[in-house]
Formats: sequence, structure tokens, C-alpha cells
Amino acid sequence: MLDAFSRAVVSADSKGSPIGSAELASLKKYVADANKRIDATLAITQNVSCIAADAVSGMVCENTGLTQPGGNCYPTRRMAACLRDGEIILRYVSYALLSGDPSILDDRCINGLKETYIALGVPMANAIRAIEIMKIATVAIMTETNTGRKMFDGINSGSGAECKDIASEAASYFDRVITALS
Amino acid sequence: MKSAVTTVVTSADAAGRFPTISDLESVKGSFDRAPARLEAAEKLAVYLDKYTTNALDEVYGNGSYEQANKDKCARDIHHYLRLINYCLVTGGTGPLDEWGIAGMREVIRAQLLPTAAYIEAFTYIRDNVQIPSEMGQQAATEFKALLDYLINALA
Repeated sequence: MLDAFSRAVVSADSKGSPIGSAELASLKKYVADANKRIDATLAITQNVSCIAADAVSGMVCENTGLTQPGGNCYPTRRMAACLRDGEIILRYVSYALLSGDPSILDDRCINGLKETYIALGVPMANAIRAIEIMKIATVAIMTETNTGRKMFDGINSGSGAECKDIASEAASYFDRVITALS
Repeated sequence: MKSAVTTVVTSADAAGRFPTISDLESVKGSFDRAPARLEAAEKLAVYLDKYTTNALDEVYGNGSYEQANKDKCARDIHHYLRLINYCLVTGGTGPLDEWGIAGMREVIRAQLLPTAAYIEAFTYIRDNVQIPSEMGQQAATEFKALLDYLINALA
């Protein structure tokens, strides 16, 4: 797996040239934004169960047949598998976000995911919908634009707007998963 | 490729857990030290050719040697300095270990090359970094630590 730094190294090595100021500019920005990146990662890790549970519940609410006999989230054993997968995807997104590079997400989560879901008979449209909801929730928590959540009353630092770039980077990782399943 | 961040992420993944607070603190620590090593990498990229030439002159002195040999020596020094540049960027010794040191002893011995000459070259570079005209004190410390690491591996 790679991070933003080793990605630069691997691409410079393929050209056989040292890493100069041009390539270092983006890495310097990565270092300068380190606190935002760490805050954004925390936004995921501290809200995992909430994000995953809300996404799966949302998916079921939109397709109530899923939890009826014959549905793909019936019985609870299969619904639990769904929640588990939501958390796994969030975990790899959090790794990618911390590294500033999607390689770990690609190698260890996305690679073979679609084939696995097809083999298991997971309905792709529903899986994609759950990931979309996770993306929306994650971005909202990072940018502190989520409304109506009591736990955020009074503790919002008001700096969420500064995490906008990082939040859109996180959104791009969710989009990678969605694209892979589409 | 190992770096401070990938090490943390790999071990978190092996345990199947999210990055913990202490994981994030160790990542933060490496970011705090990053400006010095990025400066060193940037300056090294600028002076790489100069350091190579100076070291080559020092090692070969005024004796007469075949130009072809000198060119190969320059190429090797240039190669190792480039790997040090990469190490400064990743914040670990990964690039040197994986692309420079693994198998190095065997290759150098197979070609009947004297490791002492390389050691002399890198020692010369280490001792002749101009502070602060070429790089700052902190940056030079990071650079010299990696030169020492390489010298130890060659010795």
C-alpha cells in the first residue's frame, strides 16, 4: 500500500529522477493540512456505528421489502452482515483518507467486491444506495452541516467549513466504491 | 513502501480496527517533523549533481583513472543520493532498504568494487554540507542521519 509520500516516490522512481520542488508542493500542502485530515478521520472513527446503522436503515426504509421474508435483509443475520460491510467500507475509507491515497481502499476493499456481492446475491442497487447515504452522512459530519443531531448541540467547533476539501476527498473515496459496484 | 502513515494503517488493518487516537498521534508526530525533511529533500534535489561531482573529485583525487570507471561511480553515488531523497520524502528508510541496500553487498562484491570508496564519498558529502547556504540546520540533520544509515550499511 502507498500513502501520499510513497506515491510520489514510486512515480519519481519510475522516471529515475529525484523529487524536486514541483512534486513537493502538493506534499507540503498535505503536511500543512495534517490537522484537518486527522480531524476528518476522527469524524469517521467516532461516528462509525451511527453512520453505518443510519445508512443501512435508510436503505431499508426506502425498500421495505428488504426486511420481509424473501428480502435480502431477512433474517437479521443478513441485516447484520450488511451493517458489518458498511463498517468495513468505512474503515478502508478512513485508512485512505489518513494516507491521502486510495491504494489501500482499492487493494484491500474494492478489488473483488463486486464479484463477491454477485456471488452472494447482494442486490447491487441497494448496496450502492447504502454507500451513498454513508457518503452524505460522512461529509455532513466532517463539515458540521448535519442538522437535528442533539449530540452536536454546543460542541460544534464551527471550523467544519475548513474541512470542505478533505470532506470532498473523502467523498471521492466513497465514489470509488460506488463506481466499482456499478 | 513503508512510511509513518502506512505502518500505522497496516497494523490497524491487521487488527481490523479503525485508526485509534494513539495511531493518529503517531501520524501527527511524523507530520510535525515533516517540514525539515521535505526541505532537505528539496535542497538535495537541487544540489544532487553538485554533491556527486564534489564527492567524485574527492575520491579520485588527481590520479589518472579511466573516465568510464568514474562515470559508473558517479552514477552509483547519484543513485544512492536519489534514494536518500526518497527516504526524506517518505520519512522512513524504506526506499534505501528496498532499492538500495537489499542485495547491495553481494552486487558490489561480485563486481570487485571497493566499498571503502563509497564510504569515503558519502562521508565527504556528509561532512561538507554547507549550513545554512545549502540547507537549514534541521534539514541537514535529517539528511546526515540517512547518509550515516547508508554508510553503516556499506561498512
